[in-house]
Amino acid sequence: MAEMWISMGPQHPMTHGLWTLKVKVDGETVVDTEPDLGYIHRGVEKICESRDFTQITTYCDRLCYASANTWSHAYIYAAEDLLGVEVPERAEYIRLVAVELQRLASHLMWLGAYGPDIGNLSVMVWCLREREMMMDLLQELGGSRMHYNFPRVGGVKRDLPHGFAMRARHKLSLFLDRIQEYESLFDESTIFLVRSQGVGYAKPEEMINHGVSGPNLRAGGVNHDIRTSHPYSVYSELDWTPAVERSSIKGADCYDRYRIRVEEMRQSAGLVLQALDKMPGGAETYHEPGDPKILAKAPSRAPEGTSGSHHFEDSRGESMFYIAGGGEGRGKMPYRVSIRSPMFITIPYASKCMIGYKVADIPAIMGSFDPCIGETDR
Amino acid sequence: MSVVSQESQISSAEDLAQKLNSVDGVSSFVDQRSSGTQTRPVVKLQVSSENWREVAESLYVDHGVDYCSMITGIHWPDSKDKNWEIIYHFLRTGVKNPPHSDGVVQPIITNNSELKGSDVPLELEVTIHLGDTRTPSVASIQDIWVGADWNEKETWDLVGIDFEGHQGMRRVLQPHETPKGYHPLQKQHKLRYHNFQEMYDDAQGFKRKPVDSERVK
Repeated sequence: MAEMWISMGPQHPMTHGLWTLKVKVDGETVVDTEPDLGYIHRGVEKICESRDFTQITTYCDRLCYASANTWSHAYIYAAEDLLGVEVPERAEYIRLVAVELQRLASHLMWLGAYGPDIGNLSVMVWCLREREMMMDLLQELGGSRMHYNFPRVGGVKRDLPHGFAMRARHKLSLFLDRIQEYESLFDESTIFLVRSQGVGYAKPEEMINHGVSGPNLRAGGVNHDIRTSHPYSVYSELDWTPAVERSSIKGADCYDRYRIRVEEMRQSAGLVLQALDKMPGGAETYHEPGDPKILAKAPSRAPEGTSGSHHFEDSRGESMFYIAGGGEGRGKMPYRVSIRSPMFITIPYASKCMIGYKVADIPAIMGSFDPCIGETDR
Repeated sequence: MSVVSQESQISSAEDLAQKLNSVDGVSSFVDQRSSGTQTRPVVKLQVSSENWREVAESLYVDHGVDYCSMITGIHWPDSKDKNWEIIYHFLRTGVKNPPHSDGVVQPIITNNSELKGSDVPLELEVTIHLGDTRTPSVASIQDIWVGADWNEKETWDLVGIDFEGHQGMRRVLQPHETPKGYHPLQKQHKLRYHNFQEMYDDAQGFKRKPVDSERVK
Protein backbone atom coordinates (compact mmCIF):
# COMPACT_ATOMS: atom_id res chain seq x y z
CA MET A 1 0.00 0.00 0.00
CA ALA A 2 1.19 3.53 -0.69
CA GLU A 3 2.70 5.34 2.27
CA MET A 4 1.49 8.81 3.18
CA TRP A 5 2.15 11.59 5.66
CA ILE A 6 -0.59 12.65 8.10
CA SER A 7 -0.38 15.70 10.35
CA MET A 8 -1.63 15.09 13.89
CA GLY A 9 -1.99 18.55 15.38
CA PRO A 10 -1.44 21.34 16.15
CA GLN A 11 -5.05 21.03 17.35
CA HIS A 12 -5.46 17.41 18.29
CA PRO A 13 -6.60 15.76 21.54
CA MET A 14 -3.39 13.69 21.53
CA THR A 15 -1.02 16.62 21.59
CA HIS A 16 -1.66 18.00 25.13
CA GLY A 17 -0.78 21.47 23.90
CA LEU A 18 0.09 23.02 20.59
CA TRP A 19 2.43 20.95 18.49
CA THR A 20 2.32 18.79 15.41
CA LEU A 21 3.32 15.21 14.98
CA LYS A 22 3.74 14.31 11.34
CA VAL A 23 3.16 10.61 10.94
CA LYS A 24 4.06 8.54 7.89
CA VAL A 25 1.66 5.65 7.69
CA ASP A 26 1.45 2.49 5.66
CA GLY A 27 -2.19 1.54 6.07
CA GLU A 28 -2.67 1.54 9.83
CA THR A 29 1.00 1.11 10.71
CA VAL A 30 3.31 3.99 11.62
CA VAL A 31 6.44 3.92 9.45
CA ASP A 32 8.09 7.23 10.35
CA THR A 33 7.41 10.27 12.52
CA GLU A 34 8.59 13.85 12.63
CA PRO A 35 7.69 16.15 15.53
CA ASP A 36 7.23 19.84 14.81
CA LEU A 37 7.46 22.17 17.80
CA GLY A 38 7.58 25.88 18.48
CA TYR A 39 3.91 26.88 18.30
CA ILE A 40 4.06 28.59 21.69
CA HIS A 41 7.66 29.75 21.67
CA ARG A 42 7.63 32.88 23.85
CA GLY A 43 11.35 33.62 23.90
CA VAL A 44 11.71 33.29 27.67
CA GLU A 45 15.50 33.09 27.34
CA LYS A 46 15.60 36.43 25.54
CA ILE A 47 13.12 38.06 27.92
CA CYS A 48 15.28 37.00 30.88
CA GLU A 49 18.17 39.04 29.50
CA SER A 50 16.31 42.24 30.36
CA ARG A 51 14.97 41.22 33.78
CA ASP A 52 16.83 41.19 37.07
CA PHE A 53 17.42 38.01 39.04
CA THR A 54 14.26 38.29 41.19
CA GLN A 55 11.96 39.04 38.28
CA ILE A 56 12.99 35.95 36.31
CA THR A 57 11.35 33.59 38.83
CA THR A 58 7.94 34.70 37.58
CA TYR A 59 8.81 33.74 34.01
CA CYS A 60 10.17 30.37 35.08
CA ASP A 61 6.90 29.63 36.88
CA ARG A 62 5.13 30.01 33.58
CA LEU A 63 7.31 27.53 31.74
CA CYS A 64 5.01 24.71 32.71
CA TYR A 65 1.51 25.24 34.03
CA ALA A 66 1.31 21.80 35.63
CA SER A 67 4.64 22.01 37.45
CA ALA A 68 5.39 25.66 38.17
CA ASN A 69 7.25 25.23 41.45
CA THR A 70 9.84 22.77 40.15
CA TRP A 71 10.79 25.18 37.37
CA SER A 72 11.18 28.25 39.54
CA HIS A 73 13.24 26.20 42.00
CA ALA A 74 15.46 24.89 39.20
CA TYR A 75 16.17 28.50 38.24
CA ILE A 76 16.75 29.61 41.82
CA TYR A 77 19.42 26.95 42.43
CA ALA A 78 21.30 28.05 39.31
CA ALA A 79 21.00 31.71 40.33
CA GLU A 80 22.34 30.87 43.80
CA ASP A 81 25.27 29.09 42.18
CA LEU A 82 25.93 32.22 40.12
CA LEU A 83 25.58 34.72 42.96
CA GLY A 84 27.19 32.53 45.62
CA VAL A 85 24.50 32.48 48.29
CA GLU A 86 24.40 30.22 51.33
CA VAL A 87 20.80 29.24 52.05
CA PRO A 88 19.45 28.60 55.58
CA GLU A 89 18.61 24.97 56.18
CA ARG A 90 15.02 25.61 57.17
CA ALA A 91 14.43 27.29 53.81
CA GLU A 92 15.77 24.19 52.05
CA TYR A 93 13.26 22.01 53.90
CA ILE A 94 10.41 24.34 52.99
CA ARG A 95 11.55 24.24 49.37
CA LEU A 96 11.61 20.46 49.44
CA VAL A 97 8.04 20.40 50.73
CA ALA A 98 6.96 22.81 47.97
CA VAL A 99 8.74 20.90 45.20
CA GLU A 100 7.53 17.45 46.23
CA LEU A 101 3.93 18.66 46.63
CA GLN A 102 4.25 20.12 43.13
CA ARG A 103 5.57 16.82 41.81
CA LEU A 104 2.49 15.14 43.29
CA ALA A 105 0.18 17.68 41.68
CA SER A 106 1.97 17.32 38.35
CA HIS A 107 1.86 13.51 38.33
CA LEU A 108 -1.83 13.63 39.30
CA MET A 109 -2.49 16.02 36.45
CA TRP A 110 -0.70 13.58 34.13
CA LEU A 111 -2.63 10.59 35.44
CA GLY A 112 -5.87 12.52 35.10
CA ALA A 113 -5.05 13.45 31.51
CA TYR A 114 -3.73 10.03 30.56
CA GLY A 115 -6.94 8.24 31.54
CA PRO A 116 -9.15 10.00 28.96
CA ASP A 117 -6.34 9.58 26.40
CA ILE A 118 -6.88 5.87 26.39
CA GLY A 119 -10.55 5.60 27.20
CA ASN A 120 -10.76 5.64 31.00
CA LEU A 121 -12.69 8.83 31.48
CA SER A 122 -13.81 8.54 35.10
CA VAL A 123 -10.27 8.53 36.41
CA MET A 124 -9.79 12.13 35.36
CA VAL A 125 -12.31 13.44 37.88
CA TRP A 126 -10.82 11.32 40.63
CA CYS A 127 -7.28 12.55 40.01
CA LEU A 128 -8.29 16.19 39.77
CA ARG A 129 -10.05 15.86 43.12
CA GLU A 130 -6.78 14.87 44.82
CA ARG A 131 -4.80 17.38 42.80
CA GLU A 132 -7.07 20.02 44.28
CA MET A 133 -5.84 19.08 47.76
CA MET A 134 -2.23 19.58 46.67
CA MET A 135 -3.12 22.87 45.00
CA ASP A 136 -4.75 24.05 48.22
CA LEU A 137 -1.60 23.26 50.17
CA LEU A 138 0.58 25.00 47.59
CA GLN A 139 -1.75 27.97 47.62
CA GLU A 140 -1.22 28.31 51.35
CA LEU A 141 2.51 28.54 50.68
CA GLY A 142 2.69 30.67 47.58
CA GLY A 143 -0.55 32.61 47.71
CA SER A 144 -1.83 31.74 44.26
CA ARG A 145 -3.27 28.67 42.65
CA MET A 146 -0.95 27.73 39.82
CA HIS A 147 1.97 30.12 39.51
CA TYR A 148 3.35 30.50 43.00
CA ASN A 149 6.50 32.60 42.59
CA PHE A 150 7.52 30.98 45.85
CA PRO A 151 11.33 30.67 46.03
CA ARG A 152 13.63 33.65 46.40
CA VAL A 153 17.35 33.92 45.75
CA GLY A 154 18.61 32.99 49.21
CA GLY A 155 15.51 31.33 50.62
CA VAL A 156 11.75 31.34 50.33
CA LYS A 157 9.05 33.97 50.21
CA ARG A 158 7.17 32.85 53.31
CA ASP A 159 7.42 30.37 56.14
CA LEU A 160 4.90 27.54 56.49
CA PRO A 161 1.67 29.14 57.70
CA HIS A 162 0.07 28.20 61.03
CA GLY A 163 -1.47 24.77 60.89
CA PHE A 164 0.06 23.93 57.52
CA ALA A 165 1.87 20.86 58.82
CA MET A 166 -1.31 19.48 60.35
CA ARG A 167 -3.34 20.01 57.20
CA ALA A 168 -0.55 18.60 55.01
CA ARG A 169 -0.26 15.46 57.14
CA HIS A 170 -4.00 14.97 57.08
CA LYS A 171 -4.33 15.44 53.33
CA LEU A 172 -1.34 13.27 52.50
CA SER A 173 -2.54 10.38 54.61
CA LEU A 174 -5.91 10.66 52.91
CA PHE A 175 -4.09 10.71 49.58
CA LEU A 176 -1.98 7.66 50.40
CA ASP A 177 -5.20 5.74 51.06
CA ARG A 178 -6.84 6.94 47.89
CA ILE A 179 -3.88 6.11 45.67
CA GLN A 180 -4.87 2.45 46.07
CA GLU A 181 -8.21 3.33 44.57
CA TYR A 182 -6.50 4.66 41.45
CA GLU A 183 -4.44 1.54 41.16
CA SER A 184 -7.52 -0.64 41.25
CA LEU A 185 -9.28 1.74 38.86
CA PHE A 186 -6.45 1.40 36.36
CA ASP A 187 -5.18 -2.11 36.94
CA GLU A 188 -8.64 -3.66 36.82
CA SER A 189 -9.70 -1.77 33.72
CA THR A 190 -9.33 -4.06 30.71
CA ILE A 191 -9.34 -1.12 28.29
CA PHE A 192 -6.41 0.47 30.08
CA LEU A 193 -4.37 -2.72 30.22
CA VAL A 194 -4.99 -3.65 26.59
CA ARG A 195 -4.03 -0.21 25.35
CA SER A 196 -1.00 0.36 27.57
CA GLN A 197 0.68 -3.02 27.91
CA GLY A 198 3.05 -4.06 25.16
CA VAL A 199 3.04 -0.75 23.28
CA GLY A 200 5.68 1.95 22.99
CA TYR A 201 8.74 0.05 24.16
CA ALA A 202 11.61 2.36 25.14
CA LYS A 203 14.88 0.50 25.47
CA PRO A 204 16.98 1.14 28.59
CA GLU A 205 20.23 0.70 26.59
CA GLU A 206 19.51 3.68 24.37
CA MET A 207 17.58 6.06 26.61
CA ILE A 208 20.65 7.57 28.34
CA ASN A 209 22.32 8.23 24.99
CA HIS A 210 19.12 9.84 23.70
CA GLY A 211 19.04 12.18 26.67
CA VAL A 212 15.85 10.73 28.19
CA SER A 213 15.71 11.25 31.95
CA GLY A 214 13.46 11.21 34.96
CA PRO A 215 10.51 8.84 35.39
CA ASN A 216 10.64 7.82 31.71
CA LEU A 217 14.19 6.54 32.21
CA ARG A 218 13.56 4.87 35.55
CA ALA A 219 10.57 3.07 34.04
CA GLY A 220 13.13 1.09 32.00
CA GLY A 221 14.96 -0.16 35.08
CA VAL A 222 17.77 2.38 34.97
CA ASN A 223 18.59 3.69 38.41
CA HIS A 224 19.37 7.33 37.73
CA ASP A 225 17.88 10.19 39.68
CA ILE A 226 19.44 13.65 39.91
CA ARG A 227 18.23 13.93 43.49
CA THR A 228 20.57 11.13 44.57
CA SER A 229 23.34 11.13 41.97
CA HIS A 230 23.97 14.89 41.99
CA PRO A 231 22.61 15.72 45.41
CA TYR A 232 21.09 19.13 46.02
CA SER A 233 18.70 20.47 48.66
CA VAL A 234 18.30 18.23 51.73
CA TYR A 235 17.44 14.96 50.02
CA SER A 236 20.54 13.46 51.65
CA GLU A 237 19.03 14.01 55.10
CA LEU A 238 15.93 11.98 54.36
CA ASP A 239 15.59 8.23 54.26
CA TRP A 240 14.56 7.13 50.78
CA THR A 241 15.67 5.44 47.58
CA PRO A 242 14.35 6.42 44.15
CA ALA A 243 11.68 4.16 42.67
CA VAL A 244 12.88 2.05 39.74
CA GLU A 245 10.54 -0.10 37.69
CA ARG A 246 11.21 -3.72 36.71
CA SER A 247 10.24 -3.50 33.06
CA SER A 248 10.09 -6.37 30.59
CA ILE A 249 13.07 -7.49 28.55
CA LYS A 250 11.92 -5.44 25.55
CA GLY A 251 12.09 -2.18 27.49
CA ALA A 252 9.63 0.09 29.24
CA ASP A 253 6.12 0.11 27.82
CA CYS A 254 3.34 2.58 28.59
CA TYR A 255 2.21 0.50 31.54
CA ASP A 256 5.68 0.72 33.15
CA ARG A 257 5.64 4.48 32.75
CA TYR A 258 2.29 4.57 34.53
CA ARG A 259 3.57 2.32 37.33
CA ILE A 260 6.68 4.40 37.97
CA ARG A 261 4.69 7.60 38.34
CA VAL A 262 2.32 6.02 40.84
CA GLU A 263 5.36 4.82 42.82
CA GLU A 264 6.88 8.29 42.64
CA MET A 265 3.70 9.81 43.99
CA ARG A 266 3.89 7.53 47.03
CA GLN A 267 7.50 8.50 47.47
CA SER A 268 6.91 12.24 47.16
CA ALA A 269 4.17 12.04 49.77
CA GLY A 270 6.59 10.18 52.05
CA LEU A 271 9.30 12.77 51.46
CA VAL A 272 6.97 15.63 52.40
CA LEU A 273 5.92 13.86 55.60
CA GLN A 274 9.56 13.18 56.54
CA ALA A 275 10.58 16.75 55.78
CA LEU A 276 7.79 18.12 57.98
CA ASP A 277 9.02 15.92 60.84
CA LYS A 278 12.69 16.77 60.46
CA MET A 279 12.40 20.48 59.77
CA PRO A 280 14.86 22.47 61.89
CA GLY A 281 12.91 24.60 64.34
CA GLY A 282 9.84 22.43 63.87
CA ALA A 283 7.12 22.69 61.26
CA GLU A 284 4.79 24.56 63.60
CA THR A 285 7.02 27.59 64.22
CA TYR A 286 6.43 30.61 62.06
CA HIS A 287 8.92 33.27 60.99
CA GLU A 288 7.94 36.57 59.45
CA PRO A 289 8.77 36.98 55.75
CA GLY A 290 12.37 38.14 55.36
CA ASP A 291 13.56 36.53 58.60
CA PRO A 292 17.20 35.34 58.26
CA LYS A 293 16.03 31.83 59.24
CA ILE A 294 14.19 31.51 55.92
CA LEU A 295 15.80 34.13 53.68
CA ALA A 296 19.52 34.86 53.41
CA LYS A 297 20.84 38.11 52.01
CA ALA A 298 21.86 37.81 48.39
CA PRO A 299 23.88 40.10 46.12
CA SER A 300 21.88 41.51 43.22
CA ARG A 301 24.68 41.76 40.65
CA ALA A 302 26.82 39.17 38.93
CA PRO A 303 29.96 40.47 37.18
CA GLU A 304 31.02 39.39 33.71
CA GLY A 305 32.89 36.13 33.59
CA THR A 306 30.82 34.42 36.27
CA SER A 307 28.42 31.64 35.49
CA GLY A 308 26.08 29.35 37.35
CA SER A 309 24.36 26.12 36.46
CA HIS A 310 22.29 23.50 38.17
CA HIS A 311 20.85 20.11 37.27
CA PHE A 312 17.42 19.61 38.80
CA GLU A 313 15.04 16.67 38.94
CA ASP A 314 11.85 18.07 37.44
CA SER A 315 8.58 16.11 37.40
CA ARG A 316 9.34 15.14 33.80
CA GLY A 317 13.07 14.56 33.89
CA GLU A 318 16.27 16.49 34.25
CA SER A 319 15.75 20.22 33.87
CA MET A 320 18.68 22.56 33.90
CA PHE A 321 19.55 26.24 33.90
CA TYR A 322 22.78 27.87 32.82
CA ILE A 323 23.17 31.57 33.63
CA ALA A 324 26.03 33.78 32.50
CA GLY A 325 26.51 36.97 34.51
CA GLY A 326 27.46 40.43 33.34
CA GLY A 327 24.46 41.68 31.43
CA GLU A 328 22.77 45.09 31.36
CA GLY A 329 22.98 47.42 34.34
CA ARG A 330 26.52 46.38 35.37
CA GLY A 331 25.53 42.78 35.93
CA LYS A 332 22.12 43.44 37.43
CA MET A 333 20.61 41.32 34.69
CA PRO A 334 21.97 38.05 33.36
CA TYR A 335 23.87 38.15 30.08
CA ARG A 336 22.42 34.86 28.93
CA VAL A 337 19.97 32.38 30.43
CA SER A 338 19.80 28.97 28.88
CA ILE A 339 17.16 26.40 29.76
CA ARG A 340 17.25 22.66 29.31
CA SER A 341 13.76 21.30 29.03
CA PRO A 342 13.45 17.54 29.58
CA MET A 343 10.50 17.21 27.21
CA PHE A 344 12.27 19.06 24.40
CA ILE A 345 14.81 16.24 24.34
CA THR A 346 12.34 13.44 25.06
CA ILE A 347 9.72 14.25 22.42
CA PRO A 348 11.98 13.28 19.46
CA TYR A 349 12.78 9.99 21.20
CA ALA A 350 9.14 9.35 22.11
CA SER A 351 8.18 9.91 18.48
CA LYS A 352 10.67 7.24 17.43
CA CYS A 353 9.12 4.82 19.94
CA MET A 354 5.89 4.85 17.91
CA ILE A 355 7.38 3.38 14.78
CA GLY A 356 5.94 -0.04 14.09
CA TYR A 357 2.75 0.47 16.11
CA LYS A 358 -0.75 1.32 14.92
CA VAL A 359 -2.08 4.85 14.52
CA ALA A 360 -4.50 4.21 17.38
CA ASP A 361 -1.54 3.60 19.73
CA ILE A 362 -0.06 7.07 19.18
CA PRO A 363 -2.08 8.84 21.92
CA ALA A 364 -1.29 6.04 24.37
CA ILE A 365 2.45 6.20 23.67
CA MET A 366 2.78 9.97 23.51
CA GLY A 367 0.64 10.53 26.59
CA SER A 368 2.68 8.08 28.63
CA PHE A 369 5.83 10.23 28.23
CA ASP A 370 4.01 13.15 29.92
CA PRO A 371 4.66 15.89 27.37
CA CYS A 372 4.28 19.50 28.46
CA ILE A 373 4.53 21.95 25.60
CA GLY A 374 4.94 25.07 27.70
CA GLU A 375 8.41 24.03 28.83
CA THR A 376 9.28 22.41 25.51
CA ASP A 377 8.81 25.58 23.50
CA ARG A 378 9.89 28.04 26.20
CA MET B 1 21.52 7.42 52.99
CA SER B 2 21.23 6.75 49.31
CA VAL B 3 22.91 9.84 47.91
CA VAL B 4 26.39 10.03 46.46
CA SER B 5 28.98 11.10 49.03
CA GLN B 6 30.82 14.32 48.41
CA GLU B 7 34.31 12.95 49.12
CA SER B 8 34.10 10.24 46.48
CA GLN B 9 32.66 12.73 44.00
CA ILE B 10 35.52 15.19 44.56
CA SER B 11 38.27 12.58 44.32
CA SER B 12 36.72 11.04 41.23
CA ALA B 13 36.34 14.49 39.65
CA GLU B 14 40.03 15.22 40.28
CA ASP B 15 41.00 11.88 38.73
CA LEU B 16 39.02 12.65 35.61
CA ALA B 17 40.37 16.20 35.33
CA GLN B 18 43.92 14.86 35.58
CA LYS B 19 43.33 12.25 32.87
CA LEU B 20 41.67 14.78 30.59
CA ASN B 21 44.59 17.19 30.87
CA SER B 22 46.72 14.74 28.87
CA VAL B 23 44.33 14.89 25.90
CA ASP B 24 45.40 17.27 23.08
CA GLY B 25 43.93 20.76 23.19
CA VAL B 26 42.24 20.37 26.57
CA SER B 27 42.85 22.19 29.80
CA SER B 28 40.68 20.99 32.63
CA PHE B 29 40.25 21.65 36.32
CA VAL B 30 37.75 20.91 39.07
CA ASP B 31 35.52 23.76 40.14
CA GLN B 32 33.71 23.67 43.48
CA ARG B 33 30.23 25.08 43.01
CA SER B 34 27.62 25.59 45.67
CA SER B 35 23.90 26.11 45.50
CA GLY B 36 21.43 25.89 48.32
CA THR B 37 23.20 24.20 51.22
CA GLN B 38 25.26 21.76 49.11
CA THR B 39 28.57 22.05 47.35
CA ARG B 40 29.43 19.92 44.35
CA PRO B 41 32.45 19.50 42.07
CA VAL B 42 32.15 20.27 38.36
CA VAL B 43 34.88 19.16 35.94
CA LYS B 44 35.46 22.13 33.64
CA LEU B 45 37.13 21.76 30.28
CA GLN B 46 38.42 24.40 27.92
CA VAL B 47 38.75 22.93 24.45
CA SER B 48 39.94 24.50 21.20
CA SER B 49 37.41 24.22 18.41
CA GLU B 50 39.80 22.30 16.08
CA ASN B 51 40.28 19.52 18.63
CA TRP B 52 36.67 19.30 19.73
CA ARG B 53 35.62 16.32 17.64
CA GLU B 54 38.50 14.09 18.86
CA VAL B 55 38.02 15.24 22.43
CA ALA B 56 34.31 14.44 22.27
CA GLU B 57 34.99 10.93 20.96
CA SER B 58 37.55 10.38 23.67
CA LEU B 59 35.12 11.60 26.34
CA TYR B 60 32.50 9.13 25.18
CA VAL B 61 34.72 6.11 24.50
CA ASP B 62 37.53 6.40 27.04
CA HIS B 63 36.00 8.33 29.92
CA GLY B 64 32.45 7.02 30.03
CA VAL B 65 30.70 10.37 29.60
CA ASP B 66 27.38 9.01 28.41
CA TYR B 67 24.78 11.76 28.71
CA CYS B 68 24.58 15.14 27.00
CA SER B 69 22.45 17.55 29.02
CA MET B 70 22.50 20.84 27.24
CA ILE B 71 24.27 22.96 24.66
CA THR B 72 24.34 26.72 25.14
CA GLY B 73 25.55 29.25 22.61
CA ILE B 74 26.46 32.78 23.66
CA HIS B 75 27.12 35.77 21.44
CA TRP B 76 29.72 38.15 22.96
CA PRO B 77 30.09 41.06 20.53
CA ASP B 78 31.75 43.30 23.15
CA SER B 79 34.09 40.86 24.81
CA LYS B 80 37.85 41.10 24.31
CA ASP B 81 38.89 37.46 24.13
CA LYS B 82 35.97 35.77 22.43
CA ASN B 83 33.17 36.52 20.05
CA TRP B 84 31.16 33.35 20.38
CA GLU B 85 31.10 30.82 23.15
CA ILE B 86 29.65 27.32 23.14
CA ILE B 87 29.07 25.57 26.44
CA TYR B 88 28.29 21.87 26.66
CA HIS B 89 26.96 20.30 29.82
CA PHE B 90 27.50 16.57 30.18
CA LEU B 91 26.82 14.05 32.88
CA ARG B 92 28.76 10.91 33.51
CA THR B 93 25.79 9.02 34.93
CA GLY B 94 27.79 5.94 35.89
CA VAL B 95 24.77 3.67 35.29
CA LYS B 96 25.18 0.28 33.65
CA ASN B 97 22.68 -1.45 31.42
CA PRO B 98 20.44 -3.40 33.80
CA PRO B 99 20.70 -7.19 33.39
CA HIS B 100 17.75 -9.37 32.33
CA SER B 101 16.48 -12.50 33.96
CA ASP B 102 13.21 -14.40 33.44
CA GLY B 103 12.23 -11.89 30.77
CA VAL B 104 12.28 -9.03 33.26
CA VAL B 105 14.82 -6.23 33.64
CA GLN B 106 16.48 -6.35 37.06
CA PRO B 107 17.37 -2.80 38.06
CA ILE B 108 20.81 -2.35 39.58
CA ILE B 109 19.96 -0.81 42.93
CA THR B 110 23.22 0.09 44.57
CA ASN B 111 23.78 2.15 47.63
CA ASN B 112 24.85 5.37 45.94
CA SER B 113 26.93 6.45 48.91
CA GLU B 114 29.26 3.46 48.34
CA LEU B 115 30.00 4.19 44.68
CA LYS B 116 33.68 4.54 43.80
CA GLY B 117 35.97 5.34 40.88
CA SER B 118 34.36 5.54 37.47
CA ASP B 119 30.88 4.64 38.81
CA VAL B 120 30.54 7.95 40.62
CA PRO B 121 28.19 10.34 38.79
CA LEU B 122 29.91 13.53 37.68
CA GLU B 123 29.10 16.83 36.03
CA LEU B 124 31.19 18.15 33.16
CA GLU B 125 31.17 21.56 31.55
CA VAL B 126 33.00 22.03 28.24
CA THR B 127 33.68 25.54 26.93
CA ILE B 128 34.73 26.36 23.38
CA HIS B 129 35.61 29.91 22.33
CA LEU B 130 35.29 31.07 18.76
CA GLY B 131 36.89 34.22 17.35
CA ASP B 132 35.39 37.11 15.46
CA THR B 133 33.41 35.61 12.59
CA ARG B 134 30.08 36.07 10.87
CA THR B 135 29.67 32.33 10.42
CA PRO B 136 30.52 30.63 13.71
CA SER B 137 30.65 26.87 13.48
CA VAL B 138 31.91 23.88 15.40
CA ALA B 139 31.95 20.10 14.84
CA SER B 140 28.69 18.29 15.49
CA ILE B 141 28.45 15.59 18.15
CA GLN B 142 24.99 14.45 17.09
CA ASP B 143 26.18 10.95 16.18
CA ILE B 144 28.01 10.40 19.49
CA TRP B 145 25.24 11.52 21.84
CA VAL B 146 21.86 11.39 20.13
CA GLY B 147 20.57 13.59 22.95
CA ALA B 148 22.66 16.44 21.51
CA ASP B 149 20.71 16.33 18.25
CA TRP B 150 17.88 18.70 19.16
CA ASN B 151 20.15 20.75 21.39
CA GLU B 152 22.28 21.55 18.34
CA LYS B 153 19.21 22.33 16.25
CA GLU B 154 18.03 24.73 18.93
CA THR B 155 21.41 26.42 19.29
CA TRP B 156 21.57 27.04 15.55
CA ASP B 157 17.97 28.20 15.45
CA LEU B 158 18.23 30.71 18.29
CA VAL B 159 21.92 31.70 18.41
CA GLY B 160 23.10 31.03 14.86
CA ILE B 161 26.05 28.78 15.63
CA ASP B 162 26.35 26.15 12.93
CA PHE B 163 27.35 22.55 13.59
CA GLU B 164 29.46 20.96 10.86
CA GLY B 165 28.25 17.52 9.91
CA HIS B 166 24.85 17.86 11.57
CA GLN B 167 22.24 15.88 9.64
CA GLY B 168 18.83 17.45 9.10
CA MET B 169 19.43 20.93 10.49
CA ARG B 170 16.21 22.94 10.59
CA ARG B 171 14.27 25.50 12.60
CA VAL B 172 12.79 23.89 15.69
CA LEU B 173 11.42 26.66 17.87
CA GLN B 174 10.92 29.41 15.32
CA PRO B 175 8.57 29.20 12.34
CA HIS B 176 9.93 27.36 9.31
CA GLU B 177 9.58 30.46 7.14
CA THR B 178 11.83 32.56 9.41
CA PRO B 179 14.23 34.49 7.12
CA LYS B 180 17.69 33.07 6.64
CA GLY B 181 20.22 34.58 9.00
CA TYR B 182 17.74 35.65 11.68
CA HIS B 183 18.78 34.26 15.07
CA PRO B 184 17.05 36.13 17.91
CA LEU B 185 19.52 35.46 20.72
CA GLN B 186 22.28 37.35 18.92
CA LYS B 187 22.89 40.58 20.74
CA GLN B 188 22.09 43.02 17.91
CA HIS B 189 18.43 42.06 18.37
CA LYS B 190 17.04 44.04 21.24
CA LEU B 191 14.04 43.34 23.39
CA ARG B 192 13.37 46.95 24.33
CA TYR B 193 13.31 49.74 21.79
CA HIS B 194 13.32 53.52 22.14
CA ASN B 195 10.11 53.99 20.20
CA PHE B 196 7.76 52.08 17.98
CA GLN B 197 9.41 53.26 14.79
CA GLU B 198 12.66 51.67 15.72
CA MET B 199 10.77 48.48 16.35
CA TYR B 200 8.50 48.36 13.33
CA ASP B 201 10.69 49.89 10.61
CA ASP B 202 12.88 46.87 10.74
CA ALA B 203 11.08 44.20 12.68
CA GLN B 204 13.34 41.38 11.57
CA GLY B 205 16.44 43.35 12.42
CA PHE B 206 18.30 42.85 9.16
CA LYS B 207 19.33 46.48 8.77
CA ARG B 208 20.36 46.66 12.39
CA LYS B 209 24.10 46.39 12.76
CA PRO B 210 25.93 44.40 15.38
CA VAL B 211 26.76 46.60 18.36
CA ASP B 212 30.47 46.43 17.60
CA SER B 213 30.26 47.27 13.90
CA GLU B 214 31.46 50.84 14.26
CA ARG B 215 34.52 50.05 16.27
CA VAL B 216 37.93 49.70 14.70
CA LYS B 217 39.37 46.28 15.29
